[in-house]
Amino acid sequence: MTRVGRVLGSEHTTTAGFRVVVDDDEYLQLDDLVVVATEVPKAGQVNTYGVVTEAEAVFEGATFESDTHRIAELGIMPGAKVRTVRVAVTRVDPEVWVSPDPGEEVERATGEARRKALYADEMARPLPVGLGRDGAPVHIDLDFFDGRKGGHMSISGISGVATKTSFALFFLRMLTAMPAVVGEGAANLRVLVFNVKGEDLLWLDAPNRVFEGDDDAREAWAALGVAPTPFDSVRFWAPPRRSAGDAIVPDTGGRLTGIDVFTWTPREFIDEDLLAYCFTDANDARNQLPFIRERVQLQLKRWAVGVDGMPGAVTLRDPSQSADGRAWRRGESVGAGQVEIVIRDLPSLVDALERHLEPGDGGEPDPAWTGRVMPGTVAAFLRRLHAASARLGHLVRDGESRRIDRTAATVTVVAIQSLHEQAQRFVVGAMLNETFREKEDTGQRLPLSVVVLDELNRYAPREGTGPLKDMLVDIAQRGRSLGVLLVGAQQTASRVAPEVLENAAIRVSGRLDAAEAERAEFGWMLPSTRARARLLKPGTMVVAQPAIPIPLVITFPFPPWATRKEEVAGDAGGDPFDGLT
Amino acid sequence: MARIYVEGWSPDYGAPLAPDETLAPAEGSVDDTVETTTWRPLDGHDDGVDSVVFVDGVRRIDAHLTLDDPQVGPVSGLCGTFAVGAAVWDRTVPRTEVAAERVERWAILSGGRDEIFPPVDLEPGYATMTTTDPDPSAPLRALHSAMRSAEGNLATAMASDTFVIADGPLNELGPRPAVGYIKSHRVRYLSPERNAVVAALARGQRTPLFTIGGYARYSWYVRLAVVAQGHSWSGIVRCEAPNSLPTDQVVTLADRTAAMLPVVASEPHVDPRAPQNLVPIAGLERALRHRMGDPGLVVRRLREAVAERKAS
Repeated sequence: MTRVGRVLGSEHTTTAGFRVVVDDDEYLQLDDLVVVATEVPKAGQVNTYGVVTEAEAVFEGATFESDTHRIAELGIMPGAKVRTVRVAVTRVDPEVWVSPDPGEEVERATGEARRKALYADEMARPLPVGLGRDGAPVHIDLDFFDGRKGGHMSISGISGVATKTSFALFFLRMLTAMPAVVGEGAANLRVLVFNVKGEDLLWLDAPNRVFEGDDDAREAWAALGVAPTPFDSVRFWAPPRRSAGDAIVPDTGGRLTGIDVFTWTPREFIDEDLLAYCFTDANDARNQLPFIRERVQLQLKRWAVGVDGMPGAVTLRDPSQSADGRAWRRGESVGAGQVEIVIRDLPSLVDALERHLEPGDGGEPDPAWTGRVMPGTVAAFLRRLHAASARLGHLVRDGESRRIDRTAATVTVVAIQSLHEQAQRFVVGAMLNETFREKEDTGQRLPLSVVVLDELNRYAPREGTGPLKDMLVDIAQRGRSLGVLLVGAQQTASRVAPEVLENAAIRVSGRLDAAEAERAEFGWMLPSTRARARLLKPGTMVVAQPAIPIPLVITFPFPPWATRKEEVAGDAGGDPFDGLT
Repeated sequence: MARIYVEGWSPDYGAPLAPDETLAPAEGSVDDTVETTTWRPLDGHDDGVDSVVFVDGVRRIDAHLTLDDPQVGPVSGLCGTFAVGAAVWDRTVPRTEVAAERVERWAILSGGRDEIFPPVDLEPGYATMTTTDPDPSAPLRALHSAMRSAEGNLATAMASDTFVIADGPLNELGPRPAVGYIKSHRVRYLSPERNAVVAALARGQRTPLFTIGGYARYSWYVRLAVVAQGHSWSGIVRCEAPNSLPTDQVVTLADRTAAMLPVVASEPHVDPRAPQNLVPIAGLERALRHRMGDPGLVVRRLREAVAERKAS
């Protein structure tokens, strides 16, 4: 290790931090790691490790501002340039909490000292999540992500420059590329990613042509110990295109091949209570809407019965005609000829419901379906149902099951960017519900399920309640022990439900809006980090984790997978009409 | 018509112009023809010398002493510290660095006593000297002389290869390129018509050389700055050089000072003795004062040293 300076003696050192006077022929920059050995009476040598949080320089001897000219330009005043840095203590080893002695030699922490400064020696399962300023990997303790000691990750930052999604994917790549670190959870690790903007995530399996010429990135990936390749096990899912009529083609722009179309059958829609996720607006929780919604869900389950020869379709029939007289059992069906309304999609389901809730013949609504709510509430319910039917009706259709198969590949990308916001919430809700219920049923932490969700503020807003928010809060609170791990990203953490944020053990931030950085949600940052968070470049993130008492600034390399169509190397996944004239 | 002016210096430092007629040189002892007989302001000339060394010292009374002698009664003395050093102005960079600092601590007893002050836990420690002069201010004068002599030695040593400007009158008069720099004027050396030339100096100009009988130095006046609201002698300093140097070399030095000193003169808002207190010298003095050590700590160590001796 090289000596870089001495502990400043003209002001107090503390156990939280100290300053270093840098040697003339050395330098220290932000995020550099240093170590100081202090001889403590009766305790022996105590090593204090720290990270540079601010660098300063001054002309010693200058008392007036104008002395600067006298010293630097005319050179007529004696004055020495003194460079100092502020160091935040990360660790004291052994744990004797004394401040470092003034005047002690400060060394750059490399090798084992660096590992100690970053607690890498104490991490049972260190997973690299980026590179420090020195080009060496910085780790997180995976125990704090995968649920053993903590779970979830929260990523904040301004849209565009904060590279939230890029970091989330980089993290996933590390997670999927290092089975040795992930351990037993690696075998059936399942990752669910929602593509909410553009089509950035639809090329995860394609090599990036820009990366090929980027030696720095190549070097960085080598330092991380991961081969720079695209994700090897990815499946892409997209909703069907509306205008395509009976033909089922994915509703994507750039990529048309290698994408599966997902829909739910009416049978699945009813069995899995997906109706709940048609009512995810925060306002929907007011009044008596949830009451009638739950009532209808219950009734649908009892009344729905299959139709012969029409897989996935159902019809509503009084369960008093069923075998036990209470509810139709799954698998039971009735002949198509004796059915008035076949529910083949969402509009037909709404039609069928309307007969019970608002009979067109002027009759009274069926109290078994309405739950005796006020007629206005029934009307409001139907109004919302009609709206949902228009916005996400194309996601429900009969026929063979086209539901998203999360077991088909390690990473499942669901493209919902083309959907209306309500439909996006529906898909997210349905998928999270499926994932979470599945784990709840087994009660096992393994296999791990990771969910990446951007714009978390839209799904778990701070204000209001709703089934989607409830579930995200539930996942945040209980998901850790069930192996459902949320990687949530948001532009403004202050607009996300605090329960969701607070339960994230790993906190990451890219560039922040100045006002946002001052909010309590970023209390985990040091004041110096907070000031810097306004200036972070794309690719630079602040990472806080329980294993290290202070947040670290890291960079992560350019991805070897394409992030838009133009970056795709060769013609993998490219436009099939390329080259045709 | 005479006018009244307020002096620019802070009153704590006295006045730059404090004529004392008792110090006037003997009639006819000043020779103002050594350089030229036609007195007029002369322009300075910077010959581009690479480095200039400013030498100065500071002193401080650390404590007053009393030697309680049952036979002869109490004898007074003092403990004092002085520091001398040089501000080396490297004009090629340009940069000024403090160098050759030397700190001495002295316990000085009056009455020619032979007691030795006990060892003090300081670096450097105290040496003891005595003065036979019964005057109560004699110990302080002895400290001052010791400092002046250390300054002189340093100036001489530095002047062997560089151009030296020493604060105050020259002590050592060997043939070396050293210039004494006198900030305040207590003696009128020149006749009224020659003084008119001093009054007429512009910034960066000097008077011709003159010598004073019985005082082996060349002298000349330089105007450092045209002081706003100042009188005709504001911003004037006197320089001197050993007369063991040939006159033409002294002319070179004088031209050099006239051109160079205005550059290092201080600004009124920065220094209470502006413009006469030069910037490198003010910086040097600050560094030297710092090097003398914390006065409170020094007194504590002195008390400890005396108490220990009593205990043993």
